[in-house]
Amino acid sequence: MLRFFISFFSSLFQMMIHILTTKKHIIQNVLSIYIKTTGGNISIDIDPKCDVSHIKKMVAPQIGLQPEELKVIFAGKELGDDIIIEECDLGQQSILHVVKIKPGNVQSKISASSTPNSKTLMPLCESLDDLMFSASSGSRTASISIGNETSTSDSLLDEIEVVANNEKSKPKKVHFYVYCPTCKKLTQGKLRVRCHFCKSGAFTVHSDPQNWSHVLESKQITGTCENDSEFCENILQNKEPTFAEFYFKCSEHISLGENDQAVPLDLIRPNLRQLQCLACFEITETIFSFPCEDDHVTCLDCFEAYCKAKLSDRQFWQHPEYGYTLACPSGCANSFIKEIHHFRLLDDEHYERYHRFATEEFVLQSGGLLCPQPGCGMGILADPECIRITCQNCKYVFCRNCLQGYHIGSCDPPEIQETSGTSGDCGTELNCDNRNGAGDDASRTTIKVITKPCPSCKTPTERDGGCMHMVCTRAGCQFHWCWVCQTEWTRECMGDHWFG
Amino acid sequence: MANIAAQRIKREFKEVIRSEEVAKCAIKLDLVDNNYTELRGEIAGPPDTAYEGGNFVLEIKVPETYPFNPPKVRFITKIWHPNISSVTGAICLDILKDQWAAAMTLRTVLLSLQALLSAAEPDDPQDAVVARQYKENVEMFRLTARHWTNAYAGGPNANPECDEKIKRLVDMGIEEHQARVALSSYNWDLERATEQLFS
Ligand SMILES: [Zn+2]
Ligand SMILES: [Zn+2]
Ligand SMILES: [Zn+2]
Ligand SMILES: [Zn+2]
Ligand SMILES: [Zn+2]
Ligand SMILES: [Zn+2]
Ligand SMILES: [Zn+2]
Ligand SMILES: [Zn+2]
Repeated sequence: MLRFFISFFSSLFQMMIHILTTKKHIIQNVLSIYIKTTGGNISIDIDPKCDVSHIKKMVAPQIGLQPEELKVIFAGKELGDDIIIEECDLGQQSILHVVKIKPGNVQSKISASSTPNSKTLMPLCESLDDLMFSASSGSRTASISIGNETSTSDSLLDEIEVVANNEKSKPKKVHFYVYCPTCKKLTQGKLRVRCHFCKSGAFTVHSDPQNWSHVLESKQITGTCENDSEFCENILQNKEPTFAEFYFKCSEHISLGENDQAVPLDLIRPNLRQLQCLACFEITETIFSFPCEDDHVTCLDCFEAYCKAKLSDRQFWQHPEYGYTLACPSGCANSFIKEIHHFRLLDDEHYERYHRFATEEFVLQSGGLLCPQPGCGMGILADPECIRITCQNCKYVFCRNCLQGYHIGSCDPPEIQETSGTSGDCGTELNCDNRNGAGDDASRTTIKVITKPCPSCKTPTERDGGCMHMVCTRAGCQFHWCWVCQTEWTRECMGDHWFG
Repeated sequence: MANIAAQRIKREFKEVIRSEEVAKCAIKLDLVDNNYTELRGEIAGPPDTAYEGGNFVLEIKVPETYPFNPPKVRFITKIWHPNISSVTGAICLDILKDQWAAAMTLRTVLLSLQALLSAAEPDDPQDAVVARQYKENVEMFRLTARHWTNAYAGGPNANPECDEKIKRLVDMGIEEHQARVALSSYNWDLERATEQLFS
């Protein structure tokens, strides 16, 4: 009952503060946080300048214990008594866990007393060092293969200087970038830790994560679950160690509760090593680091431009594990982006297209085909024997084999496409070609036809002048075919009509 | 988006201007418009080839999606080469298609094209007019390529015999370039070229 009143009044107080802070910004120095204890939840308002022992003094009487009997847990660490709250990067409405020190639990006493370095008593998000999360999978080389040999050595020098500077000054606080579904954008994330089994935040890690895979993959770091229910101990019966589970919260909006999480975008990193964007050659503060051996990076603008360019050519890959994704723009091996949430960096229009193309790619891989009508492109699954296809979306009825309007008998040579509405474009194409003095009839007639289906996957493909040797641009197909014969590219094609 | 392409070309342009190849006059790059969307390249014919001493001008169009898609490149100077259209100047080269990578530059492209002049690809000869000649009569191919280099690219090696045959056809009312193509296609057999032109 008493607890009820306390929480009632404190939430009332909190509401008042909320009103005051939002309206007048008078009381900026109060942090409203939740304390999760064995006996229930308490909401308190504290001065961010006070330390952890102060919290213990505030909470202890409310749960009938002495301050010395308590430990405060946040983001995987038991907080030292002299830690100032401000230094912990607690947002409004954050949750701190207060548990009673178990008499037999030597583990926590060791970790609290035997470490002279107070760094381990900081929450994980504050104590981790940016460098180890910025280096890619073990490779220490920083090659900037832009085809500009002179700048490579310069940049290497820069890099060494930067690292040295970082070692002299105190290690920079780790930066995590996330996609926040609430803010609907890229924000900085805060690392949080909970028990892998019972999901309780009253959990301390035995060691700090050393790299991204420790954070992203499950069961990498062991810890001690301090959840009072002893649920975990009962379940596991010491057969398996207890594991930490890492997750992220957005730092730009007030937490909406424990389920308010953000998706880590692990390839977006601070540019500690001053790497150059491979596309625009700029050195920006934040970079997209491709998972390739050469440490290729782009700035975020170029990453977006890269996605848009590849999207319009349908050059994303349908990866069996990761989904519809891209690899390093330098064509490095095994460099696919695993976390497809990175594509949330696209604006709404392009993200919507990304989704549509991903679905269509799935249709194609399942043996379906796409409506050839400009602006439609609907994915259609039809019987393989069925030649007459009707698009459910735009009602276009077409021939499965030549993607032209449906017809009886064999497929016509595709010159008829000239009449299908894109004549404006055709006209300019023609003029350009005349101006260039190409002047041969063969190239003039073929330019009328701007698109033909790839003979292998039927994706409409555009020819923009040049030779008749086509390579299907759709990722996963890349069929080499002949624009004239509409079959696989052969020696005969090369001999007879390579250039028309 | 287009400004990424423009910004990149701006920097590449500077890179090429300062490069040692420009100092050696092996490659050259000029702007055609102020938006960095069209450039004019120039490569020197590699030494010890039929193209030696010639200067070959290229049209380079930069797509909006550059450098994630390759530039569109075409020979403006007429050239006799198995991988380049003698009619349109179109080039069949993998790095200008699916083997393009965003870290490549216009300098890479110019140097690759120069390399293509030294060693035609694919190595096993094809059936196309030029490619067939390249395979069946490499001396005739070299002679023809050298003659084209002299006629269109300012190459120093004139071949009076070729010039004489062309003059004969021109005197018959045939346009000079057309005459050159016909003669080149028929291994400088005046009779067969004439036959083809008047058939
Ligand atoms: Zn947010
Ligand atoms: Zn647990
Ligand atoms: Zn960039
Ligand atoms: Zn790479
Ligand atoms: Zn349709
Ligand atoms: Zn048909
Ligand atoms: Zn295809
Ligand atoms: Zn063909």
